[in-house]
Amino acid sequence: MKKLLAILLILGAGATFANEQNLVMVRSPAKAAHVMDVLKETVLEYGYQTAHVQRCDGGMAEFHYKSDFYRVVFFGKIEEVRAVLQRHPEMSPYLPLKIAVVAENEGTVLASVDPRSLAPMFPDDPELQVQLARWYNDIRAMLNEMRDLKNPK
Amino acid sequence: MKYMSLLLLFLSLASHAAPDGKALYEEKCSVCHSYRGEGGIGLPLTKEILSQISDDYIGRTIRVGRPGRIMPSFNTLSDAQVGAIIRYIRSWSGKPGPVFKAIKSKGNVARGKPLYKKHCVRCHGQDGSGEGPGTGVTQSRERSFMVMPAALNNPGFQQSASDAMIHDIVLSGRKVGGMPSFKSKLTDQEIADVVAYVRTLEPPAPKQGMEEWRGKPAYIMESPYDFETTVENVKQALTGANFRIFPPRYLEQGLTDEFSVNTRQISIRFCNFKELYHLLNIDPRLGTVLPCRINVIERDGKVLVISANVAQLATLFNNQELSEVGVLMEEIILSVMEEATL
Repeated sequence: MKKLLAILLILGAGATFANEQNLVMVRSPAKAAHVMDVLKETVLEYGYQTAHVQRCDGGMAEFHYKSDFYRVVFFGKIEEVRAVLQRHPEMSPYLPLKIAVVAENEGTVLASVDPRSLAPMFPDDPELQVQLARWYNDIRAMLNEMRDLKNPK
Repeated sequence: MKYMSLLLLFLSLASHAAPDGKALYEEKCSVCHSYRGEGGIGLPLTKEILSQISDDYIGRTIRVGRPGRIMPSFNTLSDAQVGAIIRYIRSWSGKPGPVFKAIKSKGNVARGKPLYKKHCVRCHGQDGSGEGPGTGVTQSRERSFMVMPAALNNPGFQQSASDAMIHDIVLSGRKVGGMPSFKSKLTDQEIADVVAYVRTLEPPAPKQGMEEWRGKPAYIMESPYDFETTVENVKQALTGANFRIFPPRYLEQGLTDEFSVNTRQISIRFCNFKELYHLLNIDPRLGTVLPCRINVIERDGKVLVISANVAQLATLFNNQELSEVGVLMEEIILSVMEEATL
């Protein structure tokens, strides 16, 4: 019964937002550099490992294109990544998971692809559907923490 | 069963609580429109704009969104929730929105067409898709105005705007978007004719990715070469297609210690910074799918070359301009993959 409830809650949480967007996004009033630092800690708190951070702004600046702070955080759990890729190598472009951290005026916008948006492409794998919903829930929870973040005094 | 009853009770109570407009706005809208309508990825909700649009228009816009223009459809919100968001937005100025008659305008399409071509095309485009100069307040993009010319042919706009509201905006203009008032240039009947013509505008059929890959998460090709040769082939093909290649990474790199990493799964990351800059101006959320990469994976004696289905992926952004780039990128990536596995 507990397992059934857990699945219902995971899928139920998903259904609430299913028609709204395919991206999970929040705005934080905190500055991007601070958000970035806290996000990396939050990723660890949720049991994930930060694989690396891509500096998109640095790359563009190198080619003389003006850009605000723009980073992408890659993260995942090795056992989950291995389990999913074992069954679906076509999931490899979507792993590790990512969150983009973009400065906008004084605040920061964080965005990630909603993993559940991939679910319709794997209709025959209920296990993956649950995994995608779990990833969504974790990303949503992490981003909600960033939404409530304030700048350090 | 006891757990199930408690869950149902909880869900039932939650759905009957009075909706909090501020909380809903901050959760659903602020990421694009900012905390008090300053705008960003989304349209600024300035006092001027809010004084020209009715509550009915805002409500319908929230429900149907703007297909292909970033604004998603929030069609799961209840009437009470939509109403609460509108009341919160209206609280910024403390003024109620205008109310327009729902009566259909009695304009003449044939007479409206040349007037539209003469006065509106420059900003709203021949087909009404709104691809004029200016626009957007986010990122580092150059802009002439804070607001894009409205996509008049968008089904979301067509469903949301009443004839009377469009008529009123043509009459008054919109300073924030650089739209002049046509009060001294067009008669009431002529504006009605323009509105009638605007009602005939339809969006172009969206370009789609190749049929054989449609609905699939990734492009996958099997390489006839060994793992190392395939990796080199992909790099060479990308260089030939004018991409800059970053140092390759193992797919598992950073997720586990260096001794446990599967070294037969490599991600070849690449970029064209000029194109990237252009694309980030089209949609700053693009980082959620960056960088471009092609993976080479060896398993069960086979070498697979895999890339995200970029045409499919681009549709997630509800941004028609980006979707079209996704279709173009599909051709480029598939040609790179084919060249590498020939």
